[in-house]
Amino acid sequence: MTSSDRKSSHRTQKSLHPVFSLPALRRGGAFWIGFGALGLLCSSLAAAAPSPIQSDFDDDMVLVTLPASAPASDRVPSSPEAMAREVQKLISEARRSGDPRFLGYADRLFKQQAGQALTDELLVLRATLAQSLHKFEAARQDLNTVLNRSKAPLQRAQALVTLANIELAQGRYDQAKPFCEQLTEERPGLIAASCLAQVAARTGGAKPAYKKLAATTRFLRRANPQERMWAQGTLGDIAAQLGQSSAAEHWQQVLSQNPDDLYIRAQLADWYLQNGKPKQALAATEEYESVDNLAVIRAIAMRQVNHPNAQALASRLRERFDEALWRGSMLHQRDLARFELDIEQRPENALQHAMANWDSQREPQDTRLALRAALAAQDNTALSQLRDWLKQQNQFDARFPEES
Amino acid sequence: MLVKQLLALLAMAAFASPALAHKASDSFLYVDMDASEFRIDIALRDLALLVPLDSDGDQKVTGLELRAQRSLATQTIENAITLTSEQGACSIRGQAWGLSSHSDGPYLATQYQIACPNGERPEQIEYSLLFDRDNLHRGLVQITSGDARSLTVLSPDKPTVDLTGGAIGPWSTFTTFLYEGVVHLLIGLDHMLFLLVLVLPATLMPRGQGSQGTSRSLKSRLLQLVGIVSAFTVAHSITLALSALNVIRLPIAWVETVIALSIAAAALNVVWPFLGRKTWKLAFAFGLIHGFGFASVLGDLTGGVSNLAIALAGFNLGVEFGQLGLLIIGFPLLYALAHIRAYQRFMVPLMLIGVGTISLMWVAERAGSI
Repeated sequence: MTSSDRKSSHRTQKSLHPVFSLPALRRGGAFWIGFGALGLLCSSLAAAAPSPIQSDFDDDMVLVTLPASAPASDRVPSSPEAMAREVQKLISEARRSGDPRFLGYADRLFKQQAGQALTDELLVLRATLAQSLHKFEAARQDLNTVLNRSKAPLQRAQALVTLANIELAQGRYDQAKPFCEQLTEERPGLIAASCLAQVAARTGGAKPAYKKLAATTRFLRRANPQERMWAQGTLGDIAAQLGQSSAAEHWQQVLSQNPDDLYIRAQLADWYLQNGKPKQALAATEEYESVDNLAVIRAIAMRQVNHPNAQALASRLRERFDEALWRGSMLHQRDLARFELDIEQRPENALQHAMANWDSQREPQDTRLALRAALAAQDNTALSQLRDWLKQQNQFDARFPEES
Repeated sequence: MLVKQLLALLAMAAFASPALAHKASDSFLYVDMDASEFRIDIALRDLALLVPLDSDGDQKVTGLELRAQRSLATQTIENAITLTSEQGACSIRGQAWGLSSHSDGPYLATQYQIACPNGERPEQIEYSLLFDRDNLHRGLVQITSGDARSLTVLSPDKPTVDLTGGAIGPWSTFTTFLYEGVVHLLIGLDHMLFLLVLVLPATLMPRGQGSQGTSRSLKSRLLQLVGIVSAFTVAHSITLALSALNVIRLPIAWVETVIALSIAAAALNVVWPFLGRKTWKLAFAFGLIHGFGFASVLGDLTGGVSNLAIALAGFNLGVEFGQLGLLIIGFPLLYALAHIRAYQRFMVPLMLIGVGTISLMWVAERAGSI
């Protein structure tokens, strides 16, 4: 669903600002799963001796380059508008760079305001943040509040898109559809059309949905660039679902406008992997090793081409996931599952994380990973659970593994 | 010069791994309970939010810039960490200071020696670094104690972690069990009823003395009471200890049935002294079986307790305190009632019938589960 996530990318739009989460972050699994408990369980993981303390470092050596956009102080924003600008900046930065620290800074701003009434705009932003942190229920609550009380068209549209995307990401197509329809009424355009196309594609109507959205895109050629990119991302996703090679072209178009659309970049890189083009996957992930999901795809591609750095990247990823497990907040559960499946080759572990992720997120990539893990682990219970659900939704996807 | 450059390059290689990962902010705390040391690693990026590391404002932190802020950085870290033992706050003394690395880049690492009052082990660590800047910041804690190693997490919602891994200090074990002992006596109706039945004879006027019962002084009644209660206490302490320390174990269903029977027998003995008139002997004999009853409760509570003897002492004392409290309230009340004519004629028989009936019902019930 590109749309749900993808939207994330397109969210930088001025008019319809960020609705989606940081792609790299949202792809994972349930947030806070087994927080603590997991941490205690994995004492064998990160518990190795820490790297030694190095006291002898050179004065001239640059130790670290600080991000330009880190918040300068802990002051409280002077007005709701100022706070909204700051939160928006932080969320955009998190989305652009895949760096979750910015989400923590944004979260702090809301904590400072705890107990105070928030403006519609701030509620929408708080929901966007919650979505990025996989706190879908909290996000729904804030967005419904906005829909119930606000008359501001922009905030309403934003709330509708975000709600639709949460439902799409969680595979609740019946719930997503009314939001898409209401969005079509209140703010017709390519985003609303993408929303409906996505719902249709995931529930058995991929082919007509693609045709219709492609036609609408041609018809609304003069729509603003963000909306057009959004539709391109959705077209890419539906094309991939149909197994059409045009998927890559749609995604490349998006990336040519916005190279830091991490969600689309991951989709494209994964598409290359799936179609036996690991070298192109490597090219697409170059310089994006800091983002977990892109790094995992890159590690798989490196392994396929016997890249000399394959081992090094895999061991860096291992360290990252060990730290994440210690921390216990499994924001990147999907990436971990993929890593366990394709790099560590431990299908049982992979299945466990893939299913935990699938409990909260059911985009085609999530379902595909869970299916692959279930097949590899030969777990028929999980397999039939996944297939029953797909049958119920009438969902078909060329990227899913063949029935065996 | 060349050597220096080469060293710098090597160091770069260690810290500037090809691509540093993005992850939420974590500090790493390694607590070594055996050596009484801990180490904290904080990301330079995170430290830069609290301490002006980039003095020339070029977004780059050099070795020199970090060194220049060493004391402020150390102070900031030390202010955010509190280690405490049972006796109070522990002090920390820096041992090593330098760089380390984790998956997302370079960290400032500081090693400390921990010194707690009276050389005790630290029990708790409290941590508040960065929580007011980054809501997703966490302190990842590794506690090493002997061969055991455990991992836990400090967060804004849970800024304190128990370092003893759930093991409780001797004093809190004692107070916990003292409390449990009191509670058990007060909510355990069977012990209370037994005590009542034991105490009743001390409030009664001997036959034939009638209303001139004053000839039997309060002092002698109190002495009688002390004798009864002491005998009961000594007896149940013996068996409680024997059972808690695993010297003797009796099946609990039997024990409970016999306890119920003992109440009925003691009640009957007030009216018809088939077991003799020396109530203290009765109290001692039945006290032995009640001790096994206390022991079974104690056994349920001492699951993970390391210091069983302290738990036992606390629990036993708790039972005695509960007993004493009951007597302080109950005996004066009964003694006052004893001056009413109806007391001996109606109230005592009623109490005995009531207690006897209840305890016989327990006997039937408990015998059923044997």
